[in-house]
Amino acid sequence: MRHAFTRTILVSLVLLALSVTGCKKSTPTSNAGPTNASPGAKVSYTIGMSQCNLGEPWRVQMNDDVRKAAEAHPEIKMIFKDAQNDTLKQRSHVEEFVSAGVDLIIISPKEAQPLTEPVAKAMQAGIPVIVLDRRVLGDEYTCFIGADNKLIGRKAGEWIVQTLGGKGNVVELEGLMTSTPGQDRHSGFRDAIKGSDINIIFEADMKWLEPDARKEMESALSRFDNIDLVYAHNDPGAHGAYLATQAAGRADKIKFVGIDALPQEGVVYVKQGILAATFQYPTGGTEAIDMALKILQGETVPKEITLGSRVFTKDNVDTGGDPI
Amino acid sequence: MAPSDERTGWRARLTSPTATALFALCFVLLIGLIFSGDGAFYKWSTHRDALRQASVYGILACGMTFVIITAGIDLSVGSVLALVAVAFSILSIHKDWSPWLTIPACVAIGAACGATSGAVIAKLRIQPFIVTLAMMVFARGLAKTISGGMKVSTAMQRPDGSWTAAPVPDIFKAIDSRLLGDNISVVSLIFIACIIVSWIILARLRWGRYLYAIGGNEEAARLSGVPVVAMKILAYSLAGAFSAVAGLCQAAQEQQGDPEAGIGYELTAIAIVVIGGTNLMGGRGGIGLTLLGTLTIGYLDKILSVNAVPEASRLMLTGVIIIVAVLLQRRKD
Repeated sequence: MRHAFTRTILVSLVLLALSVTGCKKSTPTSNAGPTNASPGAKVSYTIGMSQCNLGEPWRVQMNDDVRKAAEAHPEIKMIFKDAQNDTLKQRSHVEEFVSAGVDLIIISPKEAQPLTEPVAKAMQAGIPVIVLDRRVLGDEYTCFIGADNKLIGRKAGEWIVQTLGGKGNVVELEGLMTSTPGQDRHSGFRDAIKGSDINIIFEADMKWLEPDARKEMESALSRFDNIDLVYAHNDPGAHGAYLATQAAGRADKIKFVGIDALPQEGVVYVKQGILAATFQYPTGGTEAIDMALKILQGETVPKEITLGSRVFTKDNVDTGGDPI
Repeated sequence: MAPSDERTGWRARLTSPTATALFALCFVLLIGLIFSGDGAFYKWSTHRDALRQASVYGILACGMTFVIITAGIDLSVGSVLALVAVAFSILSIHKDWSPWLTIPACVAIGAACGATSGAVIAKLRIQPFIVTLAMMVFARGLAKTISGGMKVSTAMQRPDGSWTAAPVPDIFKAIDSRLLGDNISVVSLIFIACIIVSWIILARLRWGRYLYAIGGNEEAARLSGVPVVAMKILAYSLAGAFSAVAGLCQAAQEQQGDPEAGIGYELTAIAIVVIGGTNLMGGRGGIGLTLLGTLTIGYLDKILSVNAVPEASRLMLTGVIIIVAVLLQRRKD
């Protein structure tokens, strides 16, 4: 009986794998249709955008920024593909762009190693590639555009040291600590508070998730009576911590600082007075289209562009934040 | 709770599923008493928060219990939770529907998802694992479709493109509040209500006996006149309806409908049911065991959190404790 059950599970898992691969194959073909559909029409450039995962609001924002920037240029036709957090799917998306003969590829890769070769192949086929946010290995790409998480973490740390007057008890709610953004937002922050009298009294990995942040904050609140500030690696984390604190009736004594500053998320939280500050992690979508146009018109562009960040606080949120 | 148990006396009682589930819970509570997180474990607020945190999982586990008793499985509960959370947020925040309309509509959405799975499983005789896997993928896609892939929050875009926040709906605040002098969360009371409803169905109604009979031996149940198809559809509809209730609680506590919510929750719900001692082969178990399982997993989570145990160690410890609890259950077989 037990063996039969195990077998059922195994067979089902195989079917699960098959079903997932099945979905994988069907999506790209349905998307790939319109490429080069209108020769001689107003469209003179086709740009393929390969996004690694539209499950994250920040990446939805990135696609929106690209789309908006491209809409301002009627000569650009955009094709978007979403790899749904699957490296191999993203790899085949890049290969599809190459065989469809797009004029330029923008890719925000899921991870470096497996996507380096497809990007290099596209370059060898004469298609320029702009790499957004996460890197590929080596130098076979046209231009990398990204923000610096470590710098943003440091700026957040400096802001916190200044706001607390150099001393206080801080709770750090970390993004997934096996991910580079989580590690960088952590280490940049720790560098900045070094030498001050700021104590990190509680730190926990909330894996970028709001419900987890709320749970961890409840634990911090039941352990510590004096908490001055919560530094969360993203705005949903800071918001989850706020909800826990508000339920405990202590929201007026604790400040909350987040990162990302999406217009419909972190920036609104600052406007509502929930967050004391949020630091923008720019998507680079607009810059990618600017660079794409330059590349397509034959201009040379820098190999590497580091995006600036902005801080949003109660005082500057209505005027669009201040650069840092 | 285990009608087939022929042993009698104290020995039988000590090895009954309820006793082993209680033992697992006491073991976890003992860990909490020793590693109390600077005494945080001795405060009621910690326990109130542990119950709040465990409630959504517990509500999902109530629905899962029905399905597992029929020797089935429902992988779609996390996705249905997300679908309902999104629908609840759209209707409450953006459409201004009254809660008296919204809540029944949302529960109906969940029940409809479950009924669909149940009908395919019972009528077409396809394995529950496959059917609910399909529902899991479909409901997630539907949640992303109706939300446009974004979290449905109180943020609203003005005509000029800037963003502003609408007020949080009263029904969200009501679900996410506390009663009895701030001592118990409303979501925990909703969980307890779900436990009571489940107990009535399983232990007091004829439906419950039918579900056990189907899980014990489906063919025998059919031959003795149990309406197997209808009862299976009922079990999956209940799982869907409870997932919907969990979705309402999730949305209220996050103050938004996140189409990505509930990923992996189905596994926690299954773990809760199994740790309680309900048999994955069907036919044996009960809702009291699921309550104990919910408390065990919930407290384990809370104790690891209050001691700020690093994530990597948490995963390993959770794995070890689940396997120990299941081994305890197995010895009595």
